[in-house]
Amino acid sequence: MQNDAASGSVVAVDVNGTIGGIVGPLVLVEPEADLRDALEIHLTRLGLHVHKAGNGQAALNLLKEHSPSFLLANARLPDMSGIDLLRLSQAVSPNTAVIIMGDPADRKSALAALRLRASDYIHLPVESGHLEVALTRAAHWRTTRIKMQHYVEQLEALHQTKVLFQQLFDEVPCYISIQDKHFRLTGANRRFKEDFGDTIGSICYEVYKHRSQPCRDCPVMGTFEDGQPRQTEEVVTSKSGEKINVLTWTAPIHDASGQITQVMEMATDITQIRKLQSRLTSIGLLMSSISHSIKGLLTALDGAIYRLDSGLEKQDMDRVHDGADRVKEMVAQIRKMVLNVLYYTKERQLNWARINVRDFTRDVTSIIGPKAEAAGVTFTHNLSSGLGAFEVDPGALRSALINILENCIDACVDDGGDGKEHVVSLTVTDRDDHVVYKIQDNGMGMDQETREKMFTLFFSSKGSRGTGLGMFVADQIIGQHGGSIDVDSEPGSGSTFTVRLPRTLPQEIRRPADADTGEPEQSSHTE
Amino acid sequence: MTKKILIVDDDPNITSYLTEFFEDNGYATCAAPDGREALDVAKKEKPDLITLDLEMPDEWGPRFYRKMSQDPEIKNTPVIVISGLSGNQYAIQKAVASISKPFDRDELIKIVRDTIGDAK
Repeated sequence: MQNDAASGSVVAVDVNGTIGGIVGPLVLVEPEADLRDALEIHLTRLGLHVHKAGNGQAALNLLKEHSPSFLLANARLPDMSGIDLLRLSQAVSPNTAVIIMGDPADRKSALAALRLRASDYIHLPVESGHLEVALTRAAHWRTTRIKMQHYVEQLEALHQTKVLFQQLFDEVPCYISIQDKHFRLTGANRRFKEDFGDTIGSICYEVYKHRSQPCRDCPVMGTFEDGQPRQTEEVVTSKSGEKINVLTWTAPIHDASGQITQVMEMATDITQIRKLQSRLTSIGLLMSSISHSIKGLLTALDGAIYRLDSGLEKQDMDRVHDGADRVKEMVAQIRKMVLNVLYYTKERQLNWARINVRDFTRDVTSIIGPKAEAAGVTFTHNLSSGLGAFEVDPGALRSALINILENCIDACVDDGGDGKEHVVSLTVTDRDDHVVYKIQDNGMGMDQETREKMFTLFFSSKGSRGTGLGMFVADQIIGQHGGSIDVDSEPGSGSTFTVRLPRTLPQEIRRPADADTGEPEQSSHTE
Repeated sequence: MTKKILIVDDDPNITSYLTEFFEDNGYATCAAPDGREALDVAKKEKPDLITLDLEMPDEWGPRFYRKMSQDPEIKNTPVIVISGLSGNQYAIQKAVASISKPFDRDELIKIVRDTIGDAK
């Protein structure tokens, strides 16, 4: 040890005499007492607080006790090698920078020390300048190591936060999608992907509404234009074809320069709420929605009665007959509307009976035939042989089928003239344990949105002529029978409704009516 | 000259009822199914009175009334609103009367007579 070089060769010495960064306790392990003391003096002068040990075990105890900044150890100790001590120290005090002092010829120890990530290996006899450089490097090693640890911790925290936010994004009880200006989905949460497919890169209106064009008054586009959030209510269709009522909110996403680059759309599934609410709140809505039609019908009925009366007065039999026909027509219309309203406002059980399919269907065609004729639409029906019997509520099912058939006739009437021959056809076939009613028209057809919303309450494509009840009621009735309606339609090319009805009612529906079966007579809604 | 009434309603059953009823009472009639057509018919036929439904496709009754009041030839023609909308007395304030469907025809003919007098 050459003390003369002590502090002169050191790079930076501060006012306290400490070398830059070299602070804190140091454990010194040197078996030879003279060298140990000399080193202690030198190190203390450098500003370090020195704990001395003569062997490995004593050093380990000091490490445990003080967790020092530095460990300066001879490669040869009486009870273990300096390398063993280095290895053990890492478990006891991992942030301690270790400097091994050893024989320059002992390359094996030097390599082992560096492999075990000692901060330095210096040669004996120790030269003071060399020691100070080693200490500076050790201090640097420590700082770097502590910084690294800090960064790793931050990274972990960041990762956890990211995972947490991703989880929130995915598990929020909403559908969240992010869209660009071209309606392209650039991001979506797990719930969205679950119900609408993994659709990143596809077009919003295709995925959400199965449309081929953007929706009218698209809230996302609105938000792109003025940066304001929007709220709308929509009916969307999942990948499995299920209708979902959603309340949507949009919000702009800005880039660093404040430009709106994307818009987030968050949609809450309110199908359940809608279902629960509809029965309660919609009765009022129902009344206002249909009161206009009912008032119109009653006025027309007055007119029909007036015609009948005045015909009788004048003994004009043509007028009497015409008046009577009109009275019948108006009464039939009012009856239909009232029955739909009653069906809707009352949770009714099926009044079912096992009846002959052919007889039942004939009954339906005998009602619809004259109506089609009056509207100038050809009505054809085709019943395959051996249809057998099925379990249905004849009154309810009849009005459901008539609602669909009348809808088809209306679609033909609305399609307009141009000499086109309009046809509504009914085909009844037997499919295993189901009876299938296929109702087809070549009327105006429906776009996808109409098709998907058509069974929702108060949806009407017929303006003031529709109450938005008919198809809703038809769907309810067929659903109650355990059956299904499929719709196939394109604008301009007509519609096809496929109604599948099980021959045997589902068990849970059969039970309530079991008590009073044996009523083959067609029941009406008012019973 | 026989006095003429223009009937504006989108429901053909109601139009034919009113036509028949007014004609039985000696009036001449003409009809239009919506506000747009009603404007043309009114200009051509110069009716003495108009019965107007409020809720019709394409052109609502109130809009028809606004356009009609801007036309010097027909703007003074009296209008009776016959509508299924409740609270319709506020829709067209200058209407000589507002009656709601279904209406009492004796009341209607009384209003007509009070407004334009007997048919001839």
